[in-house]
Amino acid sequence: MLVVAALVILAVLLAWPVPRALARATSLRRAPRSALVLWQATAVAAVLAALLAAPAAIPLLVGRQVRLSEHWVVLVVAAAVSGLVAVRLLLSGDRVGRNLRAARRRHRDLVDLLGVAGEGADRHMRVLEHTTPTAYCVPGVRRRVVLTQGTLDRLGPDELSAVLAHERAHLSARHDLIVEFFTVVHEAVPGFLRCDAALREVLLLIEVLADRAAVRRAGPVSTGRAIVAMAGGPKPAGAMAMADSTRVATARIGLLDAEHIAGLPVPVVAAGMYAVSAVLVVAPLALYLAAIAGLTVV
Amino acid sequence: MPTTPRNRLGDLERVVMEELWTTSDAHPEGRTVREVHDAIGVDRGLAYTTLMTVLDRMAKKGLVHRERDGRAWRYTAASTRAELTSETLHHTLSELAGDKRRTALLHFLDESTPEEIDELKAALAALEARRPERAG
Repeated sequence: MLVVAALVILAVLLAWPVPRALARATSLRRAPRSALVLWQATAVAAVLAALLAAPAAIPLLVGRQVRLSEHWVVLVVAAAVSGLVAVRLLLSGDRVGRNLRAARRRHRDLVDLLGVAGEGADRHMRVLEHTTPTAYCVPGVRRRVVLTQGTLDRLGPDELSAVLAHERAHLSARHDLIVEFFTVVHEAVPGFLRCDAALREVLLLIEVLADRAAVRRAGPVSTGRAIVAMAGGPKPAGAMAMADSTRVATARIGLLDAEHIAGLPVPVVAAGMYAVSAVLVVAPLALYLAAIAGLTVV
Repeated sequence: MPTTPRNRLGDLERVVMEELWTTSDAHPEGRTVREVHDAIGVDRGLAYTTLMTVLDRMAKKGLVHRERDGRAWRYTAASTRAELTSETLHHTLSELAGDKRRTALLHFLDESTPEEIDELKAALAALEARRPERAG
């Protein structure tokens, strides 16, 4: 039963203290891609550990290695955890998915109604008549990049280039799917365990990744100026915008040319994060396999 | 790009909306399907019933209001172009995260203080100092 208990404990650790600690390690933002993978690994490992807890008990019971009467507490907890997580994931996934798609469809219809379309290669672009510089994309199969006239009027050509590269990076890398995954898991976690800082950190990492694409296209200074020009602007939900609150924008600007984390070169820390990610995902699977193989200590 | 039926319907909605917006001052009471058809439908070779369907859809979507005037319906735009644009840009999804407060939390919509704005400008200045080759 140690395996079953270990899976439950692993699930709780990965749902509660680990995300909180990870959200505080803000220097990891300088390696955004590996940091995002680490977050995904944490979420996947938590879900796996929770879902496999009850199933891990079955071979032990069937093989008569343990007696139900002796270990019923652990079994009840495992069954509750697995059942609860499975149900909450299904409900959350359905609700979040439907709401997200409906909101995007409504938003895209409005943007098509109000905006002027681009030509040829820019046919997915829409320009809205509005003075506040705003830029965002509406992800999905029929994607849109939306700009306001204010953006075109106030940003220079390099800054505009940065903005478009940023939005296109969101679309081509399908960041909307990553956001959806994390939102589903976030909503599935019971309210008292949920970590808002974790979801905020993930959303920031996605913006930092898109900023990287902008830097590759237009350089860090133009990207920084574009971020400042858009800071505090509207950010429609379901879309992914260039705008952010002032505090977050300041953080993003600091990350545009980051090359070291705690004195180590970024690629070294990134490699470490990828390694930890692999270990996290393998852990619940290894525990489950141990249960099946009957290698447990009762 | 080939015009699918869905594209054409979307194009029609835009044209009808433009018509309602541009005539709203002259006709605050609204326009009937017949009047809209005379203004924009004839030139485009649109059937009266097509326009009726489009306006009906738009009413169901909340883009237009309608009131009975004798036997006909009179249609008005539900909001001005500027209002609708502003609403679209500030469109928040309260259903997605459960409540508006949580949505605001997740989408960084908090107000900024003067200190925060100073920090933002300082961050940009520091970046420009580190990267002088691009400061042009």
